[in-house]
Amino acid sequence: MDISRRKFLKITAAAGGTAACSVATPAQARGPKEPDPNWYGMLNDSTRCIGCKACQVACKKENKLEAESTLGDREQFGQPIYDSPRSLSENTYTLIKLHRDEQSGETTFVKRQCMHCVDAACQSACIVGALKKQPNGAVKYDADMCMGCRYCMVACPFNIPQFEWQKAIPSIKKCTLCSETRLDKGQPTACTSACPAGAITFGKRNDLLQIARERIAAEPGRYAETIYGEHEVGGTGVFYLSKKKVSYAALGLPDFDYRPVSGLTESIQHRIFQYFIPPIAVYGVLGAIMVYNQRRKKNAGIEGGDDEY
Amino acid sequence: MSIKAAPLHQKFVTPNLWILLFFMGSGAVFAYFRFFHGFGSVTNLNPAYPFGVWIAFDVACGVALAAGGFTTAAIVEIFGRDKYHALVRPAILTAFIGYFLVGLAVFFDLGKYYNIWHALVYWNGTSVLFEVAWCVMLYLSVLAIENLPNVVEQFKGNVRLPGPLAALNGLADWLLHRLDWFCNKTMAFFVIAGVVLSFGHQSSLGTMMLIAPYKLHELWYTPLSPLLFLTSAVSVGIPMVVFEGTLAAKFFGRKPETELLSGIAKYIPLFLGTYLLLRVGDLAYRGVLASAFDGSLQGNAFLLEFALFAVPYFLLKRRKIRRNPTTLFLCSLSVILAVVLNRFNVFLIGMDMGPEWSYFPSVGEWAVTFAFVAFGVLLYKIAVNYLPILEKEH
Ligand code: SF4
Ligand code: SF4
Repeated sequence: MDISRRKFLKITAAAGGTAACSVATPAQARGPKEPDPNWYGMLNDSTRCIGCKACQVACKKENKLEAESTLGDREQFGQPIYDSPRSLSENTYTLIKLHRDEQSGETTFVKRQCMHCVDAACQSACIVGALKKQPNGAVKYDADMCMGCRYCMVACPFNIPQFEWQKAIPSIKKCTLCSETRLDKGQPTACTSACPAGAITFGKRNDLLQIARERIAAEPGRYAETIYGEHEVGGTGVFYLSKKKVSYAALGLPDFDYRPVSGLTESIQHRIFQYFIPPIAVYGVLGAIMVYNQRRKKNAGIEGGDDEY
Repeated sequence: MSIKAAPLHQKFVTPNLWILLFFMGSGAVFAYFRFFHGFGSVTNLNPAYPFGVWIAFDVACGVALAAGGFTTAAIVEIFGRDKYHALVRPAILTAFIGYFLVGLAVFFDLGKYYNIWHALVYWNGTSVLFEVAWCVMLYLSVLAIENLPNVVEQFKGNVRLPGPLAALNGLADWLLHRLDWFCNKTMAFFVIAGVVLSFGHQSSLGTMMLIAPYKLHELWYTPLSPLLFLTSAVSVGIPMVVFEGTLAAKFFGRKPETELLSGIAKYIPLFLGTYLLLRVGDLAYRGVLASAFDGSLQGNAFLLEFALFAVPYFLLKRRKIRRNPTTLFLCSLSVILAVVLNRFNVFLIGMDMGPEWSYFPSVGEWAVTFAFVAFGVLLYKIAVNYLPILEKEH
């Protein structure tokens, strides 16, 4: 009784057109994704990074990425600048940048790359499923599958996926977690191996969290209390540690909510397509109105014509 | 219906035609660069603004402005207001042209356009874009079917293929008869399907940018967005019919259908009112109204958008304004601009990607967009000239 009544209510709600256009409540379409303990990831300890950019170079070599000229910056700076790129691009999967915390005045080098999210927005958004979380933890991109719509770029809260703007047939580019070139061979990522300061640690997600917690516990005066990425946007595969007096936001790691960013879109999608009930219900209601109007006119003898109102 | 639609059969090569061809030609030049030298050679798109004017205008606005088709079809065929029957064919035709151009624009905007069929085969149900793509394809097919009777009516029993193709006359005619039968039997099904698909499609476009809670400005980031997209599309349906009807009358030297247009315009305030109620209610409920007045670009863009919606709402409630072709046209234009600005706000202006990034469409992007519009107008011109779309003047 109860179930059928609920169903009935659902159908009437749908018939009203509301469910069809889905006024979604913030409820999730599915439960939160649980991180798999076997997923690999990295821990970036920003307190240890010395800004040598060895990881950046190693990444370029590993992925055979072209060197980037920043000579074009003459326009912006009045002179050509010979330095590393200032943002991620199709040729730069990882980047070291210097950040200053306005409050404490502290400066910190921070590494950026794809976070290999637990509940990846790019995976949720991709129309054809070209981006997928792998059993080893890497969010992998399949160029042959991709249509090049760039919706993944819109979706990623960290602005990671990059597009080959200069190519006739462009692909999406981003950090691969060295999934095929190294992980599959049992090696850590290229940037980890290159880092001379021990600022990057490679390992399984749970072990990394453990290491991070130990570091914080051992030197509470040195580290901020939280581990960035443990919960943000549903959890990530890459974690960050920060200096005590430096907020993550100052490092370009925004203060994100713990819910995955795709929660709302997925729940709305889910509602629209729930067993196709909403669209079919709308169809039925419209059909009924149409039939009713035609009958009424036929009976009134004004078929094909119009009545008063 | 006593009055029948008929082809205009006017002189086709007019100065206007050359203007359209000029726009299409310049768009084609930039299209060449886009396809052979990459997006970078034409567009101002960048990592923070992966969607530009091609998505915001050609797709998001294109779909919304095609709403004349399903709203008119619903009013006349489903709700039985037969006196507006003359408006259905041109509205369905423009919707078809609109959706056709949306499909074409998507093709331009896809990096790997040759993979466009992947949307049919590789399903990712969590992607809003997945639903958007399916609705475009299905609704475009439905619109094609809804336009079939125009072709059938024109050529049934009257097939005269040129030269050697004449041998096929009998076959073509037989085919047209079958189609006619098919259309008569099934049209009601497709009419309703068109409305349902439009509902789905309009609203799913409103869902699209909700994947970016930290990028889309709070004035537009709302769970109500799908419903707002749908209701605003419904509101712009009749204004589009008025807009096209008035322009078509002007350019084809016909008597304007003031009687009909001002009659159907009485529904506009009803739809607009519903939309405005939802919009204001949502803003108030979420407590974000203050940010409309903070003097930021987004705040001001919102105020302009809102004014363009609200002013015609109050004006069109007055009978006098609806009965005057000029004020009716201007009010309709205002609603159209409101919806266009709203889509721009959601897809571009309201997307804040941090201080380092900005985007303004390049000359090439505009040129391609204008080429699409010109192509649409050209298709309309061809269709009304050779097919029974517009009713004979009465
Ligand atoms: S950081 Fe962005 S690109 Fe990387 S997995 Fe997360 S959502 Fe995808
Ligand atoms: S650009 Fe490619 S990978 Fe990104 S969402 Fe579109 S189809 Fe998927």
